[in-house]
Amino acid sequence: MKYDFLDHDLLSRLGSLPVEARVPMMGNVAGKHRSPHRGSSVEFAEYRKYVAGDDTRRLDWKAFARSDRFYIKEFEADTNLRAYFVVDASGSMNFAGKGESKVSYARRIAASLSYLLVNQGDAAGLSLCTDKLHLEVPPSRRPAHLERIFSTLADLKPSGETGLLGALHTIAEKISQRAFVVILSDLFTDPAALGDALQHLRYRKHDISVFHLMDPLEIGFEFERPHRFVDLEDNTTLVVEPALIADEYRTALRDFLTAVRAKCHDATADYQLITTDTPLEPLLREFLTARLPKSKR
Amino acid sequence: MRFLSPALLWFLAAAAVPVIVHLINKRRHKTIQWAAMQFLLKATKETRGRKKLRHILILTCRALGIAALALAAARPVVSGLLGWGGGSIDTVVLLLDRSASMEVKPGDGLESRRRSVLEKVRDAMEGLGGARLVLIDSASGTPQEVPSIQDLPDLSAVAPTDTAADFPTLFNRAVEYLSESGGRSEIWFASDLQASNWSPDDERWAAARASLESLPQKPSVRVLSLTGGTAPNASIRILSCRRSGNEAVLDVEVNRGSESRGTSGIPLTTHLNGSRTTGTLTLAGQALRFQKRVPVPEGQETGYGWLSLPGDGNPRDNVAFFAYGPSRPVRTIVVSPPGEAADYLALAAAPPGLGNHEAEVMDAAAFENADLTNRAAIFWADALPTGARAASLSRYLSEGGQVVFFPPGTPADSSFLDMSWQPETEAPGGKYFILGDWNRQDGPLRDSIDGTPVASQRLKAIRRRSPDGDAAVLARWEDGETMLARRVVDHGTAWFLGTRPDYTWSNLADADVLLPVVVRIVSAGADRFDASYLRTVGRDGALPGPGEIRTRLDDYGSPDPANVEHTAGVFRFGERLVALNRPAAEDEPEVITRAVLDDVLAGTRYTLLDQAGQADDPSLSRDVWRAFLIAMLCFLIAEALLCLPKAKAGDDAAGVPRPVSPPPAT
Repeated sequence: MKYDFLDHDLLSRLGSLPVEARVPMMGNVAGKHRSPHRGSSVEFAEYRKYVAGDDTRRLDWKAFARSDRFYIKEFEADTNLRAYFVVDASGSMNFAGKGESKVSYARRIAASLSYLLVNQGDAAGLSLCTDKLHLEVPPSRRPAHLERIFSTLADLKPSGETGLLGALHTIAEKISQRAFVVILSDLFTDPAALGDALQHLRYRKHDISVFHLMDPLEIGFEFERPHRFVDLEDNTTLVVEPALIADEYRTALRDFLTAVRAKCHDATADYQLITTDTPLEPLLREFLTARLPKSKR
Repeated sequence: MRFLSPALLWFLAAAAVPVIVHLINKRRHKTIQWAAMQFLLKATKETRGRKKLRHILILTCRALGIAALALAAARPVVSGLLGWGGGSIDTVVLLLDRSASMEVKPGDGLESRRRSVLEKVRDAMEGLGGARLVLIDSASGTPQEVPSIQDLPDLSAVAPTDTAADFPTLFNRAVEYLSESGGRSEIWFASDLQASNWSPDDERWAAARASLESLPQKPSVRVLSLTGGTAPNASIRILSCRRSGNEAVLDVEVNRGSESRGTSGIPLTTHLNGSRTTGTLTLAGQALRFQKRVPVPEGQETGYGWLSLPGDGNPRDNVAFFAYGPSRPVRTIVVSPPGEAADYLALAAAPPGLGNHEAEVMDAAAFENADLTNRAAIFWADALPTGARAASLSRYLSEGGQVVFFPPGTPADSSFLDMSWQPETEAPGGKYFILGDWNRQDGPLRDSIDGTPVASQRLKAIRRRSPDGDAAVLARWEDGETMLARRVVDHGTAWFLGTRPDYTWSNLADADVLLPVVVRIVSAGADRFDASYLRTVGRDGALPGPGEIRTRLDDYGSPDPANVEHTAGVFRFGERLVALNRPAAEDEPEVITRAVLDDVLAGTRYTLLDQAGQADDPSLSRDVWRAFLIAMLCFLIAEALLCLPKAKAGDDAAGVPRPVSPPPAT
């Protein structure tokens, strides 16, 4: 296999689950997702009064016969979905406690979901962000486009401080049409600013999913000896005895996670706190199932 | 404070171990690349104050715990009287026991208890700076300020004496003194807690405690107990001394420590009028009573001497002095109608062969004109006296005479000293009244000096009249009726015997009972004429009378001229010859217990500085290792409490939201 972060067995098992959008999408081609516009699908939407200029072919003559009034019969429009995977490429994503690093885990999620989307005819794009770099792979639904996404993910080497907030604002401004924005990050930034960025996306009517990636060691903070902690982003060092500050650390982390969860909830983002030791298949299966309309579950 | 095992103090260095381990741990940190630095920084900032203090406290507790263990192992003792409780004291009142028992030494080659406690008092007083020391010693009983603390152990006011101590009096004097002086004060008892000196049942204790409570500034009370083991010791004392012809008859008692076992020989030296003889006493038990007859040189009317033992644990109890006067006839009167009773009583009072015993028989009427001077005893076998006879007999009793009353042979209902005879009773035919029980330690039916009992069980009576009235009963018939009663009248004693030495009454006339009873009572009566030669230091007659000059006659030991009035020896007071000995109670080993001391000093919240178990340690110190062990325990508990994790909040330790937990992969 060319990319070790791709698990074909996993993808084949998840192939039966569609990636659904929670809000109507505005694609440029016909697809399987609901559109806010009326279209020519077979699914009836509503009647509306005829106004001058309407296509007379869409008049409902039966309704005219019953009511002696002109009504236009409208149908739902189906369109495709454009997904943007925003992967945090800051140095903190390099952290790996006893297992997989956060960036590696993010890579696997982004690649797997991209594959599933493109496979079902939707477009997938990628955005890698640090404080100095904002690399974008525009969304495309061509299968060949996947190769570009995968290679970009493979080449990803996180470093520097996070540029997530800037990237989210940029995406919110740049994408004019509704899209599915998947954020893969440890979100080590100011929760209030993160809330603003998410609200910006929400204002643009994007469907937002947040995969908040944390290492189990970052949550548990279980150390026995004094440690010298070196910041992965700016190389700041701190020598502390973890046993002494564990409670305060956990309290600070709890406050942070609570704030982040609240901000995501305010922006109606689909928030998931995930530790990197979580098996990927059940995670994605649950994620995809939860996004299905109730009638399809 | 000092340590009995100071070498173990090196382990105090172990107190640094927790700190060193902490520092090493801090240097042995591991480097880790970390992402969630913002929480670390926040946690560190919040922890800096309180947590650091907590950590320092934990380290301190650990270090102090180890230090306390090391100190406890080194067996710390608090030296001096003050211990840790000393503070600014204005006056210390020292109640010093100068009795003979305080001269006992805790071990061979060591100082006496009195000397060692004085040295410790001196050291403690020097530590108190300018506090005044007021001494109330047991011999003089008067408060006197000690001008130079440094010279305290060498003052004549604290020198050894042969007196007893009276602590109820001393305590009262101390309280009286403190009621007149102000300031913060303390009362220090320095004593061997000898029960006879403390008189725990004395009512004066309650009065003294009440006075102490009423003081405006209640003084602290410290009891310096000087109990514990002693060097081997034997003591000797003379119970009585009387002249019998050309001999001085001495009743002697030799005691040795209660821990002594087996048979041993003790050299006994007899000094008499300048000559000295030495023999060996064989002691099988812990005490030996025996009678020693010392031949008196021909023609010598008075004389003196002493019995001495070799030097041992207490040099004050190794000698007993005696003095004797001229041989005088032992005269008795038998008041009885002529008959068996009169004959037998006269025979018992003056047995043939005892040349200096004389018995005069007379009837009650003749008694009125009898000369009672120098009469050792009177045996009254007639109706109880009344009128002039009663007055004469009462006077005789008050002066120390001994009178034995027997039931009258004829019916008579008179009374004397509120005592009377009950109606006569006769034993049923073929049966006798026999003695049920009698006092074998006291009275004329007591066992002999070597423990041989009087054959009282052989007494059989067919007629009796029991005495009736307020008197101490010393013997009872088998049916509980009184057979022998004693009534003390001033210095004399009246005895009432419930049957007559008459074979129509009983076999009392047999020598088994009558002879020892009569001889003992005559002897007690005669002793009062010789008793003026034998006195106890600090009691009546131990001081020269007005116009009498004290002259010491013996050359035993090295008498202290400054304490001559508190010292045993043979003295001439004017024309009188007196042998002074220490009080008998000073030889008694009984000490008061802690519980008794608690009762005696109830409410004073006294501090007991106990020397028990440290007899070989001359310092007055308290073993305080337990306090250090308790301190260690406290430090460890404090450390454990500080190390306890905080109470858990919510489901997990810090309330961190749970990550997603999807179902396991299929």
